[in-house]
Amino acid sequence: MTISPGGVAEPEFTVVEPPRSIFRRKRFLGVFLPAGLVAVAGAIALFAGGVLALPLRDVVVVSGRLASKAEFFTDAEVRRILMAHGIQVSLDRAGSRDIAVNSIDGYDFVFPSGQPAALLIKQRLAQSGHRPAKTYKPFFSPIVLATYREYADVLAKPAAEPVATVQKAARQDTPPLYYDMPMDRFIGVIQRGTTWDRLAAPDRRLDNSNRVLAQTSDLCSSNSSATYLGLVAFVANGNVIPQTEADAVALARKIKPLLTAQGLPGDDLSRSYLAPDGQGLAPIAVIYEHQFLAHQLRALGQTGKVDDRRVLLYPAAQLQTVPEFLALTPEGERLGELITTDPHLRRRALELGFRVFEADDTLTTGQFAEFLTERHLPVPSSGIGDTETFLPSLPLLEKMITEIGEC
Amino acid sequence: MRTAALLVLLALLAGCVASPPEQVRLTVLADRDLADLRPLLDDLRRETGVELAMEYVDDPDVELASGRYRHDLAWPVTDRYLHLREKAEGRSNALPTSTTVMSSPLVVGVRPAAAARLGATPSWADIADRAAAGELRFGMTDPAGSGSGLAALVGVATAAAGTGGALTSEQVSCVALGGFLTGQVLRPRTSTELLAQFIARQDEVDAVVEHESTLLALNASGKLRAPLEIVYPRDGMMLSRFPLILLDPARRDGYQRATTWLQGERAQRWIMEHTSRRAADPALERPQRLRAPIGNALYFPDRQEVLDALLAAYRRLTSGGTHQVVFVLDYSASMAGPRVERLRAAFAALSGTGTGGFARFHLGETITVLRFAGTVLQQQEVTITGQSDVDSLAPVVAAAADGRGTAIWSALDQAYRSVRGDAVVVLMTDGENNAGISAAEFLGAGKRPVPTYAVALGEADPAELDGVARSTGGRVVEATEASLEAAVREIRGCR
Repeated sequence: MTISPGGVAEPEFTVVEPPRSIFRRKRFLGVFLPAGLVAVAGAIALFAGGVLALPLRDVVVVSGRLASKAEFFTDAEVRRILMAHGIQVSLDRAGSRDIAVNSIDGYDFVFPSGQPAALLIKQRLAQSGHRPAKTYKPFFSPIVLATYREYADVLAKPAAEPVATVQKAARQDTPPLYYDMPMDRFIGVIQRGTTWDRLAAPDRRLDNSNRVLAQTSDLCSSNSSATYLGLVAFVANGNVIPQTEADAVALARKIKPLLTAQGLPGDDLSRSYLAPDGQGLAPIAVIYEHQFLAHQLRALGQTGKVDDRRVLLYPAAQLQTVPEFLALTPEGERLGELITTDPHLRRRALELGFRVFEADDTLTTGQFAEFLTERHLPVPSSGIGDTETFLPSLPLLEKMITEIGEC
Repeated sequence: MRTAALLVLLALLAGCVASPPEQVRLTVLADRDLADLRPLLDDLRRETGVELAMEYVDDPDVELASGRYRHDLAWPVTDRYLHLREKAEGRSNALPTSTTVMSSPLVVGVRPAAAARLGATPSWADIADRAAAGELRFGMTDPAGSGSGLAALVGVATAAAGTGGALTSEQVSCVALGGFLTGQVLRPRTSTELLAQFIARQDEVDAVVEHESTLLALNASGKLRAPLEIVYPRDGMMLSRFPLILLDPARRDGYQRATTWLQGERAQRWIMEHTSRRAADPALERPQRLRAPIGNALYFPDRQEVLDALLAAYRRLTSGGTHQVVFVLDYSASMAGPRVERLRAAFAALSGTGTGGFARFHLGETITVLRFAGTVLQQQEVTITGQSDVDSLAPVVAAAADGRGTAIWSALDQAYRSVRGDAVVVLMTDGENNAGISAAEFLGAGKRPVPTYAVALGEADPAELDGVARSTGGRVVEATEASLEAAVREIRGCR
């Protein structure tokens, strides 16, 4: 959509023709000149900074429907860079699966958080005779179980079969931020139906009588919870991916109690987790690594210190999620191209906690590790893997989602 | 002249910066509690051009449920009920867009004197225990007519079920809320009425269950002789998130402008400053009064029928009728030793000498205790008006377990003859029937509409007990000496 001059935030210099006599008066000039200069200087600064578009360039409003990756586009710095390119993004937030199963008419792009939803959308587009969406993969981020130090401590406490272990690469002088989590043990704890305050840890006790589990967003709408479902299913099935519909349904029924014990899922899980009251709202939350790292980078920027109350558990079976930006219109393609190739936007993605692809398109950690080190944030030693290796095929995953979530 | 020059300059700058935003008017079906946002909504209109035309109602969920609304947006206290209904009707895949704007936990405001009786960091169980004993009288909105009242009741019931998970349909029929609800002396439909009634009776009512924000506003209102202490129950709370919901997808543009602005830093600060609700933005620093740890959020049930069953239980418990519990206790010699000691301990807990919590005998309840062996040994009944009534039962259970024979079904038959109206029978035995009538004879004597819950210990025949219990609408609970108290608590609320 193109906005003609005079539309959205379109600056326009109106030349006012005042009576000559006013301009000639010294008092007027005394007031106007300095003030006018300030105004002009300010306006130039605004244009240069990209807050306002240059007068003669059209501002294009690009509208998209997206889930957790909206956090990239709501960032003030990203908006500024895009505005400097004459792009303003209008966001409509919805869960990834929600985007995939509902109408996407009228949007320039959709940006579900993971491959399953993206695949679903591409299939729907093909069926409806829509031109194929151009796909961009600007960054990626693994699924993690975000928790609090007290909780991680209790999980890591038992000498035999601890449910969490401090990552090997951790520095000795600071409290660890990252733990590895053998999922089979964690699932065992969930299966027992025990509560946090009954978890056996010799010298510490958690003051929480809720059941031990990881909270997820709504299974019917979100990619993170669908991916977590895939992980739980894979582990509960002895590290085997279900191959037939009957297997998938049977497995779904078996693991359903593990995923529904949390009751009605809340929305905005990362916000609940990151809230000052987060430890009581979502002591273990299934979120994306970038949401945690963005918080830590913000904390470092504001206080100079890492928030060491909050830590990450990395499931031993790794969950890489590569969100796919699907452009539905030429405007969408322009935006997709920009976020994938513009060096400032790629840099900003790192600053927002995302991992970026290396020049050779591999999922290695070179730039990501370099960046975190530069910011004095420890580098997690896991987070590389391929999500498709343990997710069942799309129709089977869908079957499991609808079976468990009753969608 | 200077003014003229400034005006020219301002006009110039205005031309530079922005054209006035497009005016949009969105109708909002809003909870009356949100009337305190009015000044903020005026700013919203001035700055974004989006006018939220609020229609305040006592309970937006009633209209949302009926589908009769014609509003563009809804702004209730929570979207849980809407989501449950949409899911129940097979629309899980297209829940309406919902944006959390702020939050506030449902907690308890307690008068200082009553707070002292509750002790430090009390739980809902402690509150229920004091309420059952008649030592804590509180106000809470009617769950049948108020979304916050229902959320609070779900919280209390979840704590009472004590599994740590979300409340299920199976648990809800046996959740022990009778004691807690004994203390509910104010139960109006709306928050406004609740506050007015509480203020009028603040010398005789000890506490009020409400949002933290409402309690902070009440404390600041100057209408209380002493400010309430805010208790964040140790066993968990329910959080209300006050979501702004898009009902008419065609109005998305204005909705997005409004939510973006409301989630902005200035609006979020205003909300904390002027409404005492907690900001949705996790990054904002909170004023001192909003820094109290709120404790753990209880899981909310994911099925509409759980709420329906809970409401039915609430109606029954608050309908004013008396309720009777008949304990039929095996005092044959095989019960001697740890079994009868555990039984006495369980009874003591229910009597309030320990921490009875939700299970405690409560005011207005009629308790019948019948001891048996080969015959009925003793029967005593009391309607509780105070602790001395409860204490009068102690000697009955303190008697020695030395009877000969086990006449389970004759004892049960006699117990049924003492039943009047709404009642439940709890049978505890550790042996097989070897005296008196048989189970078949007991069942053949006619319909037994009062549910019997049987606790099977030791050599008891669970199959036979279960057959009889189920025919009455009850069930059997197997137990060991060690788990006897838990078994008694498990069936304490069954009706």
